[in-house]
Amino acid sequence: MFERRLFFHVDWLLLVAILVLMGIGVTMIYSTTYVHLPEPGHPGPQFRTQIYAIALGLIALLVCLAVDYRKLAESSLVIYGGLTVLLIYVLFQGSTQYNATRWIDVGPFNLQPSEFGRVTVALVLAMFFGENRRGARNPGDLATAGVFAAVPFFLIAKQPDLGTAVTLIPVCFGIAYLAGLRMKLIAILAIAAILMAPIAWKFALKDYQKTRITTFINPELDPQGDGYQQRQARITVGSGGLTGKGFMKGTQGQYKFLPVAHNDFIFSVLAEEKGFLGVLVALGLYLFVILRSVEAARLSKDRIGAYLVGGIISGFAFQVIYNITMSAGLAPVKGLTLPLMSYGGSSMIATLAGFGLILNVRMRRFTN
Amino acid sequence: MGSNTPALPPDDRRNLGLRLSGLQAVVATAFAALAVAFWIFQVAQHQRFDDMAENTHRRRLPLPAPRGVLFDRNGKVLVENQNTFNIALVREQSGNIDETLRILAAATGADEAKMRETVNRRRREPSYRPIVLIENASIEQVIAFRARRLELPGIISQEVPARQYPQSEMGAHLFGYVSEASEADLAKPEYAGAESGSMVGKAGVEQSYNKLLMGKDGDRLVVVNSRGREMGEASHNNPVEGRRVQLTIDGDVQRATEEGFEHFGYNGAAVILDPRSGEVLAFTSLPAYNPNQFAGGIDVADWNSLLTNDLKPLQNRALQGRYSPGSTFKIAVATAALEEGLVTPDFRVFCPGGATFYGRYFQCHLKGGHGSVDMRHAIEKSCNVYFYTLGKMLEVDRIHKWATLLGLGERSGIDLPGELKGLVPSTEWKKTTREPKWYPGETISVSIGQGQVSVTPISLAVMMMTIANGGTRYTPHVVKAVDEGRGWEPVPAPPPQSIVKMKQSTIDALHDGLWMVVNAAGTGGRARILNYNVAGKTGTAQVISLEGAKVAKGKMDVRDHGWFVFFAPADKPEIAGVIFAEHAEHGYLGAPIAKYAMETYFARKEGRPLPTLPPKTGAPVIVADAAAAPASPTAAVQR
Repeated sequence: MFERRLFFHVDWLLLVAILVLMGIGVTMIYSTTYVHLPEPGHPGPQFRTQIYAIALGLIALLVCLAVDYRKLAESSLVIYGGLTVLLIYVLFQGSTQYNATRWIDVGPFNLQPSEFGRVTVALVLAMFFGENRRGARNPGDLATAGVFAAVPFFLIAKQPDLGTAVTLIPVCFGIAYLAGLRMKLIAILAIAAILMAPIAWKFALKDYQKTRITTFINPELDPQGDGYQQRQARITVGSGGLTGKGFMKGTQGQYKFLPVAHNDFIFSVLAEEKGFLGVLVALGLYLFVILRSVEAARLSKDRIGAYLVGGIISGFAFQVIYNITMSAGLAPVKGLTLPLMSYGGSSMIATLAGFGLILNVRMRRFTN
Repeated sequence: MGSNTPALPPDDRRNLGLRLSGLQAVVATAFAALAVAFWIFQVAQHQRFDDMAENTHRRRLPLPAPRGVLFDRNGKVLVENQNTFNIALVREQSGNIDETLRILAAATGADEAKMRETVNRRRREPSYRPIVLIENASIEQVIAFRARRLELPGIISQEVPARQYPQSEMGAHLFGYVSEASEADLAKPEYAGAESGSMVGKAGVEQSYNKLLMGKDGDRLVVVNSRGREMGEASHNNPVEGRRVQLTIDGDVQRATEEGFEHFGYNGAAVILDPRSGEVLAFTSLPAYNPNQFAGGIDVADWNSLLTNDLKPLQNRALQGRYSPGSTFKIAVATAALEEGLVTPDFRVFCPGGATFYGRYFQCHLKGGHGSVDMRHAIEKSCNVYFYTLGKMLEVDRIHKWATLLGLGERSGIDLPGELKGLVPSTEWKKTTREPKWYPGETISVSIGQGQVSVTPISLAVMMMTIANGGTRYTPHVVKAVDEGRGWEPVPAPPPQSIVKMKQSTIDALHDGLWMVVNAAGTGGRARILNYNVAGKTGTAQVISLEGAKVAKGKMDVRDHGWFVFFAPADKPEIAGVIFAEHAEHGYLGAPIAKYAMETYFARKEGRPLPTLPPKTGAPVIVADAAAAPASPTAAVQR
């Protein structure tokens, strides 16, 4: 299955960039979860967990690299079915933390199936549009694709985890766009989205979701509550300055003024301790990873590969851009992690599996 | 190249390539925007956010300075500090405040509803600032709290220096009290250096010498995490203790004076001075409050009860009470007549029990009359007709002039806050009133201390001091020395308010007459101390006119006040003062209080055992009578 010559077509540059980003993430997790008291202190448990997650993620990456993506695409419906079953299982039997039921208790760790939604949906839709030879120009096909995406979307939104559910949208959209979705339709959809916003506001959003948006627009409404994180995020980033306060010297992260810094706000911690220069390095690496991955789509031998890469990288790019915007206090706070850097096992494994597929497509550009 | 998936036709590949480039362009644009946003926050606006971060994790915690200790003239501690424990709540460290308060109440026996109210009242303060729940906690309460510490997150015990008045209510109006500076206080010059939360003096010596006594609070700048937990210390300034201050007060005389009031059952006021310098030996106003109640923040109920109490315990009667001087005013009239040279001490008037002036009949208090009396006997007997006659000769403005020189109708200038002026009428003053003409008949009432005249107790003490020393109106003062860190340094006495060199004949006549009040046939016999030549004068201050009394009956206490003014020894005075006995009806009933204070003063000075009062047996009058008799067992001085 894995021929030796394929080894030479692996995109090592992309892989190195990914590893460096994960290294930065782990370093920042070490810093922000370090337990200072009692003296002399010790690293927090998250540091070690994250290393294990990266190890598992690299295995997932290897698996996704080793199996021909076309084989995976062919069995995408089976994978899709499995994911749906898991998501339904979570709704009834999942473990609950912070008022949300997102996890399946698997012995030593918790599995968050929703994180695998993006890769699965990307596989199914890539297969669907790649095989039908018509692309995404037929309304009937678009509707079918929409249904494929809608099922996991609602199951995840129901947990409730709107943040993760929303990340499915750029995946679908990316694939449909590459599959030739008419620009006119894109324009119409954009206008419809704007028009629908007030209706969604009135009927679809829960109160706490509305509060997040209103406090984003005016953080002073609730400086201790919902506006707090946003305000603290800006202070954290802004106080970092050009060169940063230094490793483990960031007051905002170290003294926990910024909540869940190792998770949603890991980029703020980076900005505080490594400054604007550190931010530029990280932004550059992320940009490189995304642009380089898009090149993999360009090089793909077939549609399925191009669409698969396009879907995965669209979801990734959306998440990165949204999280970094949020970490500077410029977007409403949502439970959306920064892929490759944030603390979180399922997210890490799913992200690396996705990159496994991207590397897979590029590596097999010359094979049948 | 067998195929199970179709390869891309060139046209499609070109289209796909264009769309991929579009995707890359969008992403690159977004990243460029992010880089600009971070540049704005981290470089352009860095300073602003850096300041905000500093404020977020640094806290200034005050270290309150202990106030200066107050000593009496003999080096005895009058007011000190004691470390007390407060039990307080830090809300940001507490999860469930209701539950915490419930457990705390159960553990310490404190009132849960009251604590909740306190928390509620201060809910707008920053949540890291401790809210004191139990002030001055007992050792049992502190132990009970510590035993259940784990169930009580956010509850802390803090040790704070609190002002301690060991004698509780003794000298309350002299010492004053301390409490937290209000926002309005911070703007006042006397509280310069105080900050929000500082304890400042609010009355008495605590207020007028606040600057010396307050010291300088220190502080600690600590680094805290988001839960308010201390992570380290950035700086530490030790507090500087307030200056030690020695008062002119003699603690024993002070105690004796207050015991006297208590023993004889009166409220009122007393001021006792050293007529050679104006030093205050004792100063009281009763009823008083317990200044210890204020030291850690008085609670609303206690404060309201002080405010609404009919007896007005917050009023400093010695400085602020204005009463009719009654017969004590005759001393001023006598001084005026003698010093103006209108009469000599041998000037005689025949008293038939009353006389007519300006067409109106004025009574003497003795129906049958005093017969022919000279100045000395007129003072001894307090003959009204004699002083009516002097008043008519003097006219009101000369009475005003000499009363003023003796300190009546003036502020004494004492170094305590809130002093008010009494009133001695004059034609000048009359012009400022609604009926601007002074009727000579009014002078007749004034000459026996009635009518418009009003005085404060301290101004009568000043008068007696001035008569005793022959005309120097020293400024009463309560501070003798201050320790600025280089040992006791005497504080120079303030300059006298006025000096008149009184004629020796005037001084002799007044001293003789006042000696006779106490030692011959006068009304002051109850202040007599064998061999100490006490001189004095009683007076009665009408609370209300006879007609008014009928109206007010049952609504207020209309019984007259009693005055006793005194100095001793008559030939070489070293103690002078006033006893104001509220609603005592007769001036002579205040005399035994003066006697006890003077006995204590002389015993202390001569190193003899201090006198004691007999246990209270019943009617105070009996004890007072016994005290007046030369063979009284209470008069230890008489041996």
